[in-house]
Amino acid sequence: MNALTTIDFNQHVIVRLPSKNYKIVELKPNTSVSLGKFGAFEVNDIIGYPFGLTFEIYYDGEEVSSDENRDSKPKNKIPIGKVRLLSQEIKDVNNDKDDGQSEPPLSIKEKSVSLELSSIDSSATNQNLVNMGSKAQELTVEEIEKMKQESLSSKEIIDKIIKSHKSFHNKTVYSQEKYVNRKKQKFAKYFTVEYLSSSNLLQFLIDKGDIQRVLDMSQESMGMLLNLANIQSEGNYLCMDETGGLLVYFLLERMFGGDNESKSKGKVIVIHENEHANLDLLKFANYSEKFIKEHVHTISLLDFFEPPTLQEIQSRFTPLPKEEARALKGGKKNSYYRKLRWYNTQLQILELTGEFLYDGLVMATTLHLPTLVPKLAEKIHGSRPIVCYGQFKETLLELAHTLYSDLRFLAPSILETRCRPYQSIRGKLHPLMTMKGGGGYLMWCHRVIPAPEPVSENATAADSSEKLAEHGAKKQKI
Amino acid sequence: MSTNCFSGYKDLIKEGDLTLIWVSRDNIKPVRMHSEEVFNTRYGSFPHKDIIGKPYGSQIAIRTKGSNKFAFVHVLQPTPELWTLSLPHRTQIVYTPDSSYIMQRLNCSPHSRVIEAGTGSGSFSHAFARSVGHLFSFEFHHIRYEQALEEFKEHGLIDDNVTITHRDVCQGGFLIKKGDTTSYEFGNNETAASLNANVVFLDLPAPWDAIPHLDSVIAVDEKVGLCCFSPCIEQVDKTLDVLEKYGWTDVEMVEIQGRQYESRRQMVRSLNDALERLRDIKRHKLQGVERRKRMFNNTIDSNDEKVGKRNEDGVPLTEKAKFNPFGKGSRIKEGDSNYKWKEVTKVEAEIKSHTSYLTFAFKVVNRSRDDEKVNEILRSMEK
Ligand SMILES: C[S@@+](CC[C@H](N)C(=O)[O-])C[C@H]1O[C@@H](n2cnc3c(N)ncnc32)[C@H](O)[C@@H]1O
Repeated sequence: MNALTTIDFNQHVIVRLPSKNYKIVELKPNTSVSLGKFGAFEVNDIIGYPFGLTFEIYYDGEEVSSDENRDSKPKNKIPIGKVRLLSQEIKDVNNDKDDGQSEPPLSIKEKSVSLELSSIDSSATNQNLVNMGSKAQELTVEEIEKMKQESLSSKEIIDKIIKSHKSFHNKTVYSQEKYVNRKKQKFAKYFTVEYLSSSNLLQFLIDKGDIQRVLDMSQESMGMLLNLANIQSEGNYLCMDETGGLLVYFLLERMFGGDNESKSKGKVIVIHENEHANLDLLKFANYSEKFIKEHVHTISLLDFFEPPTLQEIQSRFTPLPKEEARALKGGKKNSYYRKLRWYNTQLQILELTGEFLYDGLVMATTLHLPTLVPKLAEKIHGSRPIVCYGQFKETLLELAHTLYSDLRFLAPSILETRCRPYQSIRGKLHPLMTMKGGGGYLMWCHRVIPAPEPVSENATAADSSEKLAEHGAKKQKI
Repeated sequence: MSTNCFSGYKDLIKEGDLTLIWVSRDNIKPVRMHSEEVFNTRYGSFPHKDIIGKPYGSQIAIRTKGSNKFAFVHVLQPTPELWTLSLPHRTQIVYTPDSSYIMQRLNCSPHSRVIEAGTGSGSFSHAFARSVGHLFSFEFHHIRYEQALEEFKEHGLIDDNVTITHRDVCQGGFLIKKGDTTSYEFGNNETAASLNANVVFLDLPAPWDAIPHLDSVIAVDEKVGLCCFSPCIEQVDKTLDVLEKYGWTDVEMVEIQGRQYESRRQMVRSLNDALERLRDIKRHKLQGVERRKRMFNNTIDSNDEKVGKRNEDGVPLTEKAKFNPFGKGSRIKEGDSNYKWKEVTKVEAEIKSHTSYLTFAFKVVNRSRDDEKVNEILRSMEK
């Protein structure tokens, strides 16, 4: 099975719930996944379907229902249901973003909800609707809870709720629809299984409230970073990532598309400020350990700027010929291989910090960029992009000024991109009433190689280059 | 080895290479290197032979015409983003804030097989081509098709991962068959190309006429993503209708706002300095009044040190106020190190306040699984 397009065993996937929350789950064979109040399902039941489908959890009475049954299980155990594919219309209902403002036209397109409602009276306007709040609903919270406990299908619950709503018939079709949708989202037991793309992982983290951890990044800023940095499968990129590996996740997805079998040679070299790199989030990536080892290298700032010399390394350890090493026994063998690993890491540091020039520099760190970027840029090849993500414009501004006066950087600019979502329903198109703020900024420039200072009585290189640069400083459109 | 100028990384500038010569931010020129030729600017001419052999990213200096100053350009390896800034416009184009968002949202990677219609000026095509497995681009305007084909060939895209086809996709759909006007090269027994697209981008006036044709060319066993790029909200409305009719779901329309800031400096002018300056002016005024009074009364004491200086007519000179903390009256360059500055950003004078609406939708054609295969896997795992 193709794990990039199909739900497969032993992979991490992201599950979207009716509440629009996300959950990351690992699909272990013969196990079940609990989605809390949205029910639970068997992993085996969803394997083999393509990504992007919505499943409904239903109970046909056999599995659970009885109270004795529940007592024998540990408390709070969610009963495991069966799954079936949900029709598309109900999924679409999800899109019905609650806006509460625009009064919609009455001619609503045929939708499952409207069909359900057709048997119930509705009012042409909401003139007679008195706002009674929760009083209008005769069912008590307890009663509804009880229905949930009884594992009634969401449809059954909603039917009962509608019947118990005193002024339901006074609502317009539109607001009836909205009411039903709201209840649906609350009681529906369905979920959508999606590929764990970089954007989905970011969405998951934002949703979870980890905004600070991801430095307030947005999908649009990351997308723009990848394009401006000209990320390709065969590139070697220097990177600093303070988000626990999210930036590296974005790079890897763009470079290899999650494909373990990729033949591409590109690498991401992660420079870290602590003793060890934090690339926690890569645990969700479906790359093999071998793949990660081949394509992601980590090196501390200290090792990067002050690498050991070959002599230093060799004075501390020299590998034995293979046969001799194999002949070692017990503790000696273990300690030999530990030292060999150390030795190989050191050699790799030499390789990564040697003459080699990288194809791009991408940064998401709160370290002081004006001191950091000019130093790291020594290792960047001419003509290659440098892109720094920053949560705040001001830190990038200081960086841009610093780079502007350094002839090794061409045209540093500060960019911002924001996505404005709309309520996307025919005849009711308008921007959503609220959206997430933030999203950060990008500094983009190219590494260049200044011409050797020409000898001249009348002019200096700096003079006229400034003049040319100034000439076009304004109005670059991207 | 592919001849793609836009993918892969080059070290040295070679004869025959396509380069982008950066004169200034809004003057970036695509230039192919030929040792006999020169690149002309209004500051002077840059012989290609002085450029060839240098590393990419090199700044090239020449003596300017007339004056004995130096002029510079930078020679860069083309990237899709720089190309977007420099390309010859044959149509409206998609800029990086939009294209990068669309690519990210549709999860573009080497795994992507993309349909794009219409090709237009090929701005987006270059960005797609850099990042995806294969791009199938369609253009119905014959001259633009020819121009794009020629350009894509020159850039090495056709030999690599791009197919362009002359087609009205609203009329004729997306199937590429033998005998069509296309850059596609058919295999021996092949009569139609297998597009199997999992990403679709429609930048044409009537996407609703193109959407019904997609079913026969999109991948059936995986989720397919679609983006329609339309400037008018009425177009979005019509598109939504067709999307629903043809089974596209998770529909969402968004708008992207891209902004660019200039890094500038504003002088820090303190209250104390402003007060001190006023005091200084006041002092000098008073002195002037005093002096004039004395002059009028003709009681000038030539020993008065403060009014020692006189002009030729014997009229005493008044000294100008001296305290000038903000350099008033002289032209100060922004950032002059004799003054204190605050770093500030300024948004571009003219911003792109609207490009287009981006309508996204998704579709899974084959919504089933192979139960037998799943059982097989389960059985093999039990062993
Ligand atoms: C705005 S331009 C596309 C610009 C392009 N996305 C870019 O970034 O350069 C739209 C193009 O679509 C073409 N077009 C319009 N309708 C078409 C159709 N039905 N089939 C194919 N191409 C079409 C036009 O000729 C035009 O070149």
